[in-house]
Amino acid sequence: MSGLIRYCMVVALAVCIFTGATAQKTGVSVSLGGATFQMDDMKYLMDIILISYPLEGEIISSFPPYFSGSVNILRQIYPHLRVDAGYTYTTTGARANYTDYSGTIYTDMIAVSHRLGASVNYSLIGSDHLNLSLYGRLDANFTNLDITSSINVLSLSSTTHNKYNSISPNGSVGLEFLYTFKESAIGIEGGYLVDLPGKLKNRETGNKLLDPNDRQRVLTSDWTGWRVGIKGIIWIK
Amino acid sequence: MKSRTFILLAGIIVTIVNACMYSNDGVYTVDPVPDDPPVVWATTNLDSIDNPVVYDSLEVVYDISIQNGKLYILDVLVGNAPVYESDTTMGSFWIYSYDAEVPGIDTLRMNIYYSSNTNSLADVVGLEAQNIGLKYAIDFTWNIK
Repeated sequence: MSGLIRYCMVVALAVCIFTGATAQKTGVSVSLGGATFQMDDMKYLMDIILISYPLEGEIISSFPPYFSGSVNILRQIYPHLRVDAGYTYTTTGARANYTDYSGTIYTDMIAVSHRLGASVNYSLIGSDHLNLSLYGRLDANFTNLDITSSINVLSLSSTTHNKYNSISPNGSVGLEFLYTFKESAIGIEGGYLVDLPGKLKNRETGNKLLDPNDRQRVLTSDWTGWRVGIKGIIWIK
Repeated sequence: MKSRTFILLAGIIVTIVNACMYSNDGVYTVDPVPDDPPVVWATTNLDSIDNPVVYDSLEVVYDISIQNGKLYILDVLVGNAPVYESDTTMGSFWIYSYDAEVPGIDTLRMNIYYSSNTNSLADVVGLEAQNIGLKYAIDFTWNIK
C-alpha cells in the first residue's frame, strides 16, 4: 500500500514539474461541498455496538452526507487540458445513544479522510467565460476513525477511546462547470468516487479491527459515494 | 501580496476544516416504564427473642425474600461499625462481644439494598438500589474488655 502512496505522490510531483515546461498558467483552487459515503462495515459495526447496549438505544446518525473540501495546485497545459494535484479532506461519522433520567450511553464514531492525489481535467464545452469539463482523479486515501464509547450512570462514568486507520486507493470522475473571470473562476463540481475499502488497524496496537461475528474478516472503511461542491480558482501566473 | 493571499487562504482553510469536523450530540431520550415495585420480606432468628444477649458471641441467621427484584447487598452494622456483608439471600453471621464499643445495649442494623425494578439504565446495570433496614437492640452488658 505504501508503494501506491509513493506512486501517487510521484505522479502528483511529476505533473507539477513536467507540466511546468509547457504550462500556460498556474493556479490554486479551493472546493467546499458535501459527499455521501458507503461505509457499510462501519454501519454494521455500529449496529453490533447498539445491540450490546443493556437497553434498547437508537442510532442517531449513521455516516450521513457531510463535509468535503479540497485544495489543489493547477496547471493549465493546453486550452482544453488541465492537471491538478492536491489535498482533499472529508469527514463523517455516526452516533448511537440511550438516555434516561438515571444516565446515558453513547457511542461516537468520527471518520476523517485525508486524500492526496492528482487529476486530469478535459474541457468539453467552453467559451470566453463558461466552461464545462470532465475530470478524472486518483488519490491515496488515509482514513482516521475514532470510536468513543461512554456510559454515565448516576455519578459513575466509564469511557473508552479506540483509534483506527486505514490506507486505500481511490478514483473519481465528475463534471466541473466554471464561470471564468480574468484571473479567477468560480463554479460547481460534482462526481462519483470509488474507494477500494481500506482495512482498519488500531493506531496504537496495530491490531486489525475484526468483525465481531466473523473473526476472520477485517472491517474496512469505504468512502465510495457522490461528491458535490462549489469551487473557486485563482490564477497566479 | 501573493504570500499574504496564500497565508489568508491557508488560515481560512484550516478554520473551515476544524469547524467542519463531524460532530453530533443528539440524544435518544427514553422514559423508562417501571415494572411492579419489589416486595421484600426479611426474617432473622432474633425476631422471636427479646433483647438478645451476647455473652461471647451470637449467631444471627437471616432469610431475605425479594419479589420482583434482586438483592444487591446486605450490610450489617453494630452501632456504626460494619460487621458483615453479603449478597446472598439466606445465610448467617456471628456478632461478638467485642463488636460493641461499650458494654450495654447497642443496635444491630441490617440494611438490605435491592434492585429498584424501574427498568432505568441505572437499574439495569445494578446501580439504582432501594433499601430497607432491620434494627435489633442487642444486649452487650456482658461485654468485658
